[in-house]
Amino acid sequence: MNAKERMEAAINLKPVDKVPNAPFNEAPVCKYYGSTFRASLLEGPEMLKAHMKGLEEFKFDWVMLGMGLIGGIIPEALDCRVNYPEDVFPIIEKTCVFSMEDVDRVAGKDVFTKRMDSFLEGISLLKKELKDEVPIACEYISPFTIATRLRGTNEIMMDMYENPELVHALQEAIVPLDIAIGKALIEAGVEYIFYGADMECPVLLSPDHYKIFVHEPTTKVCNELARLGSKVLPHMCGDIVKTGIVDMLLEMDIHGIMPGNLTQEKVLDIRELKKKVNDRICIFDNINPNGPLLIGKPEEVTKETLEHLEKAKKMSGYIFSTAGTSSPFTPKENYLAMDKEVANFQWS
Amino acid sequence: MAITDILNAVVSLKKEDVVENVIAEINKGTQVDDILNKGLIEAMDVVGARFSSGEVFVPEMLMAAKAMQAGLEVLKPYLSSDTAAQKGTVIIGTVKGDLHDIGKNLVAMMVEGAGFNIIDLGVDVDTDKFVTEAQIHNADVVCLSALLTTTMPAMARTVEAIKEAGLKVKTIIGGAPVTDAYARQIGADGFSDNAPGAVALIRKLVAVAA
Repeated sequence: MNAKERMEAAINLKPVDKVPNAPFNEAPVCKYYGSTFRASLLEGPEMLKAHMKGLEEFKFDWVMLGMGLIGGIIPEALDCRVNYPEDVFPIIEKTCVFSMEDVDRVAGKDVFTKRMDSFLEGISLLKKELKDEVPIACEYISPFTIATRLRGTNEIMMDMYENPELVHALQEAIVPLDIAIGKALIEAGVEYIFYGADMECPVLLSPDHYKIFVHEPTTKVCNELARLGSKVLPHMCGDIVKTGIVDMLLEMDIHGIMPGNLTQEKVLDIRELKKKVNDRICIFDNINPNGPLLIGKPEEVTKETLEHLEKAKKMSGYIFSTAGTSSPFTPKENYLAMDKEVANFQWS
Repeated sequence: MAITDILNAVVSLKKEDVVENVIAEINKGTQVDDILNKGLIEAMDVVGARFSSGEVFVPEMLMAAKAMQAGLEVLKPYLSSDTAAQKGTVIIGTVKGDLHDIGKNLVAMMVEGAGFNIIDLGVDVDTDKFVTEAQIHNADVVCLSALLTTTMPAMARTVEAIKEAGLKVKTIIGGAPVTDAYARQIGADGFSDNAPGAVALIRKLVAVAA
């Protein structure tokens, strides 16, 4: 099997020849192989160079993109002031929604800026070079998380009590834009869209607020992207099983779930998630990107990786991954230790 | 009317009721320290405990802190200037290169709600600024926040700079990618993954130092 076939088989809960290896690897790849971190997050030809070099040394089963898109390109296209430092992720310096009038302005925005075009060019270049053997995944964000970028997280959180109409209206304005960007990603070559539910996870929001404010607009976008042919994979931190969020996720047209951290040091046991989703969709594993992987030694990473793989033995629809974005400062020898363990793991 | 009405109003996120009840207690001649400690501060402890146990979430924490602050504003003219200073002075900021502030703001609100003198340096704060402000205000604790894994090294640099400056101030760190192991690795005095935990840690560190 090549990487594309292996990922497709796992997503469809079919047998695979070995464990599919799909960590949140964009930041380490850009750091290890990019001419600069910023350029390889954002600029088409630089994205191509960094990720192709990454595939020469690592045995990843996908190319992952999107931190520059969700952290900078989308908020900037919708009028936030964004700073793009050379060696860190984009930083939103100024939000842009202060009233209902601003919501109307957001609704009318053309999101296809020069920076967006360059990012889409990177996807097209990669698609051509990968020759349909390695799939491309792109991180994406829900209307709610975009709303927090545009208005400010504290403000949106308090708006839920003080100005709920604005939270609904802003997301309503964002939904068509979110779909338009997703469609462009798919047309450029993205096959896997994973929803980084940064701000609506049950670490931050109650399940009730999720249901009232987030579920409907997210469902509209996810279902449309699935209809357009993408595999849709929500990624969410917190205990999505105990809080019942997973049941709401399963109401959407999704193909897999990527559970994140419970706390900084703990992750959800994917066996609990497997019991819940059974054989309806595939699940991604969740080795902690802030644990030994970031601050430990290669032998500790090997041990933790093996523990995760052993827990998942004989699990159908299983894909190895990290519980969230890997730090660009992850030591390369640690990332290689994880990669080697996954590549060599025997199912039986 | 009783002090518990203030507590209940904060816990119920009812800002107007908090203000009304604080005014009523002041007019009744209730000790302002009791209004502060048994009403406002204790209320934030209740909210913090509920947050830790997963009963309430960030929007509720923010609304409770807002209600508490409204009560504190009414109370401020009646408080002696050294009431907060007696508990200790805490400097807080998000480290250089990082503009995220939700966690930092939550901690700042909770720490203020717990009766400490809080000095919020904002976001994207230089290492030197943390050192200088800690010296100027004779701070007891410096809290460093970061959301990005890319800005975590700035925490290490700041902790080191504070030590090099010979300050006795304690340093604690927090933020989405930060762990207890990382705190130990960079020589910080503590770590918390949530705002109530940060308050408990600060209380502990200040008590030990005293």
